[in-house]
Amino acid sequence: MLSITQSMAMNGLNGYLVSVQVDVANGLPYFEIVGLPDTIVKESKERVRIGIKNSGYDFFSKRIIINLAPANTKKLGSIFDLAIAIGILTSLGIIKECELNNYVLVGELSLDGKIRKIENALAICIEMNRKGIKNIILPKDNEKEVSIVKGINIYAVTTLREVVEHFNEEKLIDKSSVNSYSDYFKQEEYEIDFSDVYGQEKVKRVLEIAAAGSHNVLMIGSPGSGKTMLAERFQTILPPLSFKEYLEVAKIYNLYSDNLNSEIKRPFRTPHYTITERALIGGGDIPKPGEVTLANNGILFLDEFAEYKAHTLDVLRTPIEDKKITISRVNSKVEFPANFILIAAMNPCPCGYYGSTVRECTCSENSRRRYLHKISGPLLDRFDLIIYVNLLPYKKLNTYNMKKSSKNIRERVIAVRDIQNKRYEKLNINNNSELSNSLIREFCKLDEKSKVLLEKFYMNKNITTRRYNKILKVSRTIADLDSEGNIKYKHIAEALQYSEKGVRL
Amino acid sequence: MGNVELLNKLSFSIVGSRRCSEYGEKVTQRFTKEIISLGLVTVSGMANGVDTIVHETSIKNNGETIAVLPSGFDNIYPKENKELYKKIIENKGLAISEYEPHEIADSKKFIRRNRLVSALGECLIVTEAAYRSGTSITARFAKEQGKKVFCVPSGIDNRCGIGTNKMIKSGHSLLTGISDIFDEVESEKLEAYKEKYNKELIMNMNIKNIPKECKKVYDVIWDRPTSIDYIFNKTTETIADISYKLTILELEGFIKSIPGGFYEKKYL
Repeated sequence: MLSITQSMAMNGLNGYLVSVQVDVANGLPYFEIVGLPDTIVKESKERVRIGIKNSGYDFFSKRIIINLAPANTKKLGSIFDLAIAIGILTSLGIIKECELNNYVLVGELSLDGKIRKIENALAICIEMNRKGIKNIILPKDNEKEVSIVKGINIYAVTTLREVVEHFNEEKLIDKSSVNSYSDYFKQEEYEIDFSDVYGQEKVKRVLEIAAAGSHNVLMIGSPGSGKTMLAERFQTILPPLSFKEYLEVAKIYNLYSDNLNSEIKRPFRTPHYTITERALIGGGDIPKPGEVTLANNGILFLDEFAEYKAHTLDVLRTPIEDKKITISRVNSKVEFPANFILIAAMNPCPCGYYGSTVRECTCSENSRRRYLHKISGPLLDRFDLIIYVNLLPYKKLNTYNMKKSSKNIRERVIAVRDIQNKRYEKLNINNNSELSNSLIREFCKLDEKSKVLLEKFYMNKNITTRRYNKILKVSRTIADLDSEGNIKYKHIAEALQYSEKGVRL
Repeated sequence: MGNVELLNKLSFSIVGSRRCSEYGEKVTQRFTKEIISLGLVTVSGMANGVDTIVHETSIKNNGETIAVLPSGFDNIYPKENKELYKKIIENKGLAISEYEPHEIADSKKFIRRNRLVSALGECLIVTEAAYRSGTSITARFAKEQGKKVFCVPSGIDNRCGIGTNKMIKSGHSLLTGISDIFDEVESEKLEAYKEKYNKELIMNMNIKNIPKECKKVYDVIWDRPTSIDYIFNKTTETIADISYKLTILELEGFIKSIPGGFYEKKYL
């Protein structure tokens, strides 16, 4: 007799339904699984057979064929165990006729009939919700993490027997309660704070602008001037993850993080400069996301920017612009989101002290030029904000007042993000940095005085049109920080202060 | 190659180290500008550092400049200055060389080049030279050719300026302003320029008007590198206001930004 149950698998970040078709017939005892199973799926034969037996049901010696459809995609992992077991029990007549098709079944079976935790439960639930599939039966151990997903009925179970009794309507399983996002998601709290950094008012201002408008920042400065310290504190001034952002981040981390139990917060990725291209943008036989995707909705911090291989850096150009990355392989094509704020830090020259008042630079002009040329022009063009970070003379270290705490800055950032959300409500963007050329013309109108100023700068510095647009976007954010509807002269002038200057020789 | 007429005009040679400090760059620009504004021609060797600054500043201020090459025209040395070489010729300048087009530069040719640089100018100005520098050879040539050598003094902690200070010690003239040259070089040819210089000096006394809103920020900036944190501490304004005022001051030409995030007053 044939019976069909549903399960779910992930391809990249997209889930797809797998229909588990079980046929039990008389004949010589035989048990086979087809539909491109990997070793783990193949081994589920043993887990299912003994799991059923130890749950107290008879496992007759019959001819059993199982097909996992669609048959042309590779099936991985142990999550199909439950669907296979229920399918067999239905075919054997132990589970009576019922609407099996309305349920997605996921779970790994252990030999004693218990159902063990699976890895991608959250991602699967999010995908079910997106596709409008209603009911899921999953392991009890996964209940807490998925309880945040609204709109689906979650039944959490510990043993195979519970599932059988549920379908036979002998003893129904209670629906799991849904936790609201605000209960579930605590405000991120950090042990570090902006007030830890002495001085550097300009850099703090720039980082505030970057957080408010989601702009990319390049910091250039001598060793020990505080670039890394400032970048680490950048996460403390970003607004808390919204529900939508949280789900996106959670899905990626649920699928690909090595550390499954870590709490989800706004990503802050700091890959080392020996990173390969693949690790950065993603890749592999079965495409896995790289750092740019793991930094989605968060920060990608590249310290010692000039030490990365030039080629590795240049692959960043498309994800920075498109906010996503497409990885093509022979038998699959996967698109990963890559919407991050890029913070990069580098020294001004090989010895690190060019332009410093504290120590003299010992580099020749040539070696300095070669050093800076590691960052290609087009890549440099993609930074909205470029600033120098100075070393502070010792006597000043103790005299600076520390009035800018992360909390204050964060409040302002949240306010400005609200302004942007309101303004772009009807459009498909969230913040100023995403403005397209036509939208820039609409939202970044200038008065005559500003136009003259900008024109002067454009002629003087020989900037590109992309840089020109970036300046407009940054001025838009500065105007928002000032709660001004229109961009004024002084906003443009301030934005110019943070643009490419003296970086190229 | 270029405007051969320039050889008949009155010119000053300006040279210095290949590696120069911020200070060296500043004074080179300053004296080049003054010389150009008087209608004189500048002569230099198109090497890195001071020489390049001389040519570039001359062109930027619509002046005429002569570059003496240590190699043939097909092998411009240093390579990075190929663009500069083209620019010099395009902007009424002159590049001269005593070598066949295909010849490449070597250390002997540098010295021979220096001989020509000093010979072409009415006098020689050394803006900055390190302890051991080819510039001292140029100065020796100048002396042999009977020309006066003027050296710009440096702070005693400036490693790039040890050579110039040493040259002053050994008897070359001290240069603190163009007027020093007019005072020391006695030549009829210079008389006209001297008059012009004095006239312009009076005009320059009226410093351009600084925008009122930016005055406070301008006042706390020194004529050596000043950091924005310093400005922030000395004024009561917010970082946002300071930043935009700095841009205006810079674009209007009152201050100059320096790599490393510093600002300084511009010589007006």
